[in-house]
Amino acid sequence: MTLFLHILRYKVRSFLNATFEVSSISVIRGIGSLLVFGGFAVGAYYFSNNITAFVLEQTRTGLYLYHRFISMMLFVFFVAVNMGNVIVSYSTLYRSGEVSYFMTKPIPHITIFLHKFLDNFFYSSTTLFLVAFAVLLGYGTYFGYSWYFFAGVMFFVLIPFMFLAACMAVLVLMGVMRLAGRFGFRPVMGGLFAVYVGFIALFFRSSNPVRLIEQVNRYYPNVDNYLSQLDPGFLNYLPSHWVAEFLFFLARGDVARGVSHAGILLCTVAGMFAVLVLVASRYYYKSWLISLKIQAAASAPYDPEKANVVDFRSSGLLKGALESLVKKEYLTFVREPSQVIHLIVMLVLTTLFVASIGNLNLRIRVTEIQLVTYLVLFAFGGFLVSSVALRFVYPAVSLEGNAFWALRSAPVRPEAILALKFAIGFFIVFFLAFVVSFASNVPFLRFSGRTPLLPWFGLFSAFWMSLAVVGLNLGLGGYFANYNEKNPIRVASTQGATLTFLCTLVFLIVLVVIFLYPLSVYFQSLFIFRPFDRWSIVVPGTLAGMISTAVCGVSFAVGLRSLRRDW
Amino acid sequence: MIELRSVTKTFGTFTAVDNLSITIPPGELFGFLGPNGAGKTTTIKMIAGLFAPTSGTVIVNGFNIVTHPIDAKRTLAYVPDQPFLYDKLTGREFLYFVGGLYKMQKDLVHRRVAEVIEHFEIGRWVDKKAEDYSQGMRQRISIAAALVHQPKTIIVDEPMIGLDPRSSKIVRETLRQQAKAGVSILMSTHSLPVAEELCDRIGIIHNGRLVYCDTKDGMRAFEASMDGKLESVFLEITK
Repeated sequence: MTLFLHILRYKVRSFLNATFEVSSISVIRGIGSLLVFGGFAVGAYYFSNNITAFVLEQTRTGLYLYHRFISMMLFVFFVAVNMGNVIVSYSTLYRSGEVSYFMTKPIPHITIFLHKFLDNFFYSSTTLFLVAFAVLLGYGTYFGYSWYFFAGVMFFVLIPFMFLAACMAVLVLMGVMRLAGRFGFRPVMGGLFAVYVGFIALFFRSSNPVRLIEQVNRYYPNVDNYLSQLDPGFLNYLPSHWVAEFLFFLARGDVARGVSHAGILLCTVAGMFAVLVLVASRYYYKSWLISLKIQAAASAPYDPEKANVVDFRSSGLLKGALESLVKKEYLTFVREPSQVIHLIVMLVLTTLFVASIGNLNLRIRVTEIQLVTYLVLFAFGGFLVSSVALRFVYPAVSLEGNAFWALRSAPVRPEAILALKFAIGFFIVFFLAFVVSFASNVPFLRFSGRTPLLPWFGLFSAFWMSLAVVGLNLGLGGYFANYNEKNPIRVASTQGATLTFLCTLVFLIVLVVIFLYPLSVYFQSLFIFRPFDRWSIVVPGTLAGMISTAVCGVSFAVGLRSLRRDW
Repeated sequence: MIELRSVTKTFGTFTAVDNLSITIPPGELFGFLGPNGAGKTTTIKMIAGLFAPTSGTVIVNGFNIVTHPIDAKRTLAYVPDQPFLYDKLTGREFLYFVGGLYKMQKDLVHRRVAEVIEHFEIGRWVDKKAEDYSQGMRQRISIAAALVHQPKTIIVDEPMIGLDPRSSKIVRETLRQQAKAGVSILMSTHSLPVAEELCDRIGIIHNGRLVYCDTKDGMRAFEASMDGKLESVFLEITK
């Protein structure tokens, strides 16, 4: 314990020194971060508050159904935190130089494990805490809860809930390492991925939201009652359900039953943490040795005679520096497992999204509902594209790492380096944005077949959105570049990355606001036959194009400036 | 040829390099010595175009590194003190990558890469990924990469760190051969015997200022005036 606290003290000191380093740039960054984070927190608060009011008062969904939706969202959140922790903790627990260093010192392995585990949890979850708290505040204010509710729920429900996801993730990871020692890393990770996808699919198959709505509607108007007979049995074993039940009973004033669910959660967290410590004390060091073995096996020399798909020795269509840069970008990407795994995850999510909205049956021919549905799909597509850009474009400059000296001292213009990264990012993001936009428009083609304005609008908005989103991520990724961090996931979860993501969200909101009026008129023309002048979308479209170009240009200039900074 | 004309570099209120002027003609191997934090690496980074001088001019083979960076860098090779490589590329791929950055013809790159692999005796592990290399292996790849495009000027920061005796000998011989072939070389080192053995001229930098600069002969005369050791000269000057 003394050793644990000793290490912790120095890590905290190091963190504080880095965080409170006073310089003009850090102060400006700090103020900028505060404004954007503050703005985002306020936005999340109002969103959560208004959506709660809207769902409970306008649509009269009822407490039960609303909390089941919360349960579903919490389930997705739990799985996301869990999967994220599996991926990130592999780097933190098994590939960190700090762990290798500590292993040479007389420190118990469990102390090293606990440090890295907590480091991993707090590093990757700080922003999520902020978001969770802002959402909780919005939700709780609607019900008029006191301040101690928010503090209590945050510390005794939401943080333990995320902590449970992280504990389970690391247990899964240690299991993976054990199996990987026997069957190889890639097959085991592939199997794990299939298990996760299967689990999510099973969850939504068993608790189908549409079926649930229909079932609850049979009880109308008694939809605030506890309709647990509609719940599939397995829900009782899910932590997301316990949190939702806690909130539900509190909302109904049944504090005792609510607290009992929080108690179940806390006991599970304590039990899971105890199991984790027990397993780690016996198995962490062994699994660390396995990871070394796996890394050593992966370090067999390449056969120089064997031609690869992309080979530096062969000539391609491109020439000189451009050829070298493209091949380097490709090889460094495909040889980094976390990049490939995350890309597959993103593609699966995009495919799921595209498949779900492609089958959307828009039966209600009401202008407002169609318009809101369209805008929600538009914004959600933008959100998906922004996530892809954040994960793959934002770290692009940082991932040059300390080897960047080779490029910086070579006769290659920084503009060319950044432009190539932009082109690659834009190609991927625009392709995704186009697919998502196309799929989002399919359900609406039934109404607008004769006037195919929406597909064109989708194509152009995908283009402008991709331009700005890629520019923002690349430029700010360059500005906040951290060349010492080799893990792309950690780069994409830094404060700078969060700031960039929030800027992207602000841009998306601006786009939605710009297109709100012309789209509203367009949908009115479809359903209530109000005349629609196509030129009325040209002005907002031009405005959106100008804003996107400006955002992209300014961000590119910021990134370029950072590439010219002293190395 | 390298020319530093009244070069100064400041970081905030701290002056790392103070009004430094050096000229290294073709064929000269210039040893750049100095205690830790004296300004050696800062100077080298300014020549390599990684730092912009606060004032003064850096000319590399007739090109100002700030106003004509591409032309200057085309003739230059830089070997950093920390030989970081792209972890996911093999040593061979890194050599080809660097060749491409200098827009070399494919057949010339093939030939040069084969030559440097043989010269530095790195063929046994050059097809492993760099993430599996030791410090010495990385250093050898980094020095080999500097020679692929046959530069007119080489700036090398602490080249002997991590090298085994055989590799160290190869590197020392290579640097001498390059200088003999007309390449101007600036080498920063903490190893006084290496500097004494290889360099035509030695400069000592202390607190950002060039406090000593003389040819090998001049330096030996200075050494003789003390106890005949470069170490004593160095310690006296940097006191």
